[in-house]
Amino acid sequence: MNNKLDCRGQNCPVPVLTVKKTLEEASLSAITVLVDNEAARQNVCRFLEHQGYAVGSEGIEGGFRITGTRGEGTGAVASEPAPPVRERATGRRRVMVLVTGEHMGRGDDGLGEMLMFNFLKTLPEMGPDLWRVAFVNGGVKFTAQGSDGVPILQGLADAGVEIASCGVCLAFFHVLETMQVGTVTNMLEIVTWMQQADSVITV
Amino acid sequence: MTDEPIRLTSTVKGAGCAAKLAPGDLDRALCGLDLPVDPNLLVGLERADDAGVYRITDDLAMVQTVDFFPPMVDDPYQFGRIAAANALSDIYAMGGTPRTAMNVVAFPAKTLDLSVLRAVIEGGLAVLREAGVVLVGGHTIEDPELKYGLSVTGFIHPDRILTKRNLKAGDRLVLTKPVGTGIVTTAIRGGLADAAVTERVTRNMATLNRAAAETMAKFTVHACTDITGFGLLGHLAEMVVDSGCGVRIDAAAVPCYPEALQWAAMGLIPAGAYNNRDFRGSFVEFGAGVPRRLQDLFFDPQTSGGLLIAVAAGEAEALVAALRANGVAAAAVVGEVTAGPADRIVVE
Repeated sequence: MNNKLDCRGQNCPVPVLTVKKTLEEASLSAITVLVDNEAARQNVCRFLEHQGYAVGSEGIEGGFRITGTRGEGTGAVASEPAPPVRERATGRRRVMVLVTGEHMGRGDDGLGEMLMFNFLKTLPEMGPDLWRVAFVNGGVKFTAQGSDGVPILQGLADAGVEIASCGVCLAFFHVLETMQVGTVTNMLEIVTWMQQADSVITV
Repeated sequence: MTDEPIRLTSTVKGAGCAAKLAPGDLDRALCGLDLPVDPNLLVGLERADDAGVYRITDDLAMVQTVDFFPPMVDDPYQFGRIAAANALSDIYAMGGTPRTAMNVVAFPAKTLDLSVLRAVIEGGLAVLREAGVVLVGGHTIEDPELKYGLSVTGFIHPDRILTKRNLKAGDRLVLTKPVGTGIVTTAIRGGLADAAVTERVTRNMATLNRAAAETMAKFTVHACTDITGFGLLGHLAEMVVDSGCGVRIDAAAVPCYPEALQWAAMGLIPAGAYNNRDFRGSFVEFGAGVPRRLQDLFFDPQTSGGLLIAVAAGEAEALVAALRANGVAAAAVVGEVTAGPADRIVVE
């Protein structure tokens, strides 16, 4: 297993992409990366931290050596969410959640909003089966700056769940430029995901 | 044509304004130079501003600027449009009206087909036409890497020059385009950006700051700059230094590309962002609640970024409304000028 990468002589973003590709091919509990410039050092450190590694770096002749370690029994790192690079493990279902508004159910909107936040907060309980959460209509507001939904959804995104908001809806509510988490999507993608998913839960 | 489409960004080392020489290096190279003195030079090199201004008569001055860089997008025509919008921006940031332009081109004729050069220049011309600017000439050299830009000349009334240096305590700061183009174009180079965000960032970078400039001319604007290679905080530092005022930025109010936040967390950050932070970081104090990815975003070098406008407090909301009505959709109040601490930027 190649867990030592020499990225000296490479400029951004090549070192990060090299590390990313390596980690996509194999899950490594330890990795060492050599780089020769400060920007590459910081970027590779950020990437490994983002992937849940405990990261250290030291100066060596002609550059830096970056080490990342991850796995059981390494303190804080053990509680990090699964890496965002999602593998298609056999036996895992793909659940798509479609959020169509700001409120859960009908009756009282205040209650409905509280329920919806509670729903989003509880979604991680689905574990690795949770595949995508797509937001349409008023639901897209959860992904925009200022919403309490942002940290919740960022947590899901960090755990590898794809978060996507309908672009037309973001524009309609004037939050296209302030969307904080996930990607912008369209109806064709949403329909495609519905077809690909093993089950679709609409709220 | 069955050829693979050209991927311009894979042919160059730096991209867009991220290719700018590190700001500290430029200062070291230029400090102590014996600069010519002329009473008609209203804005010159001694105070770094967006463009130089030279008085011709009591009611007419000439505004001059030049900008060029390697491609930050793969499509030659779009690169041409972006380079032109970026070059013209300095004139708009001074409150001027651009009139003439000259191409500045470096082209690798041994490795790229001449049709690429033609497409780049066509893109530039399209934006010049949109701006009402005529192309009067240019200069092209052979070079291992493609670079394109323009030298632009405009006009302005000598009493209506908008520099970076006139902040007034109480002013509101209005930004007209989202930040994050350096990070997004880094992701494009890395093949990680999808078509939707590529299209959005390309469209924003190719958008002239003309509508923004024409709109702000109707308001009480004290200072203005455009956000390019030094990033939001680097350019803001140029405004705040020696101003006697402080600045407070509301991090959550700054318009940005949401994808850029994710890519910043992943370390897809251009080296220029780190240079900017090294050079100007000492002016900036981040609140505990500002995550590192947002800090990185605020130092991200921008290509053809928006105008940063210091407007009288009472007119800020009307300015933002007018900007949005004139198609400047991302316009937002992002902070305010404070009485102090002097020369400090606080981001909360």
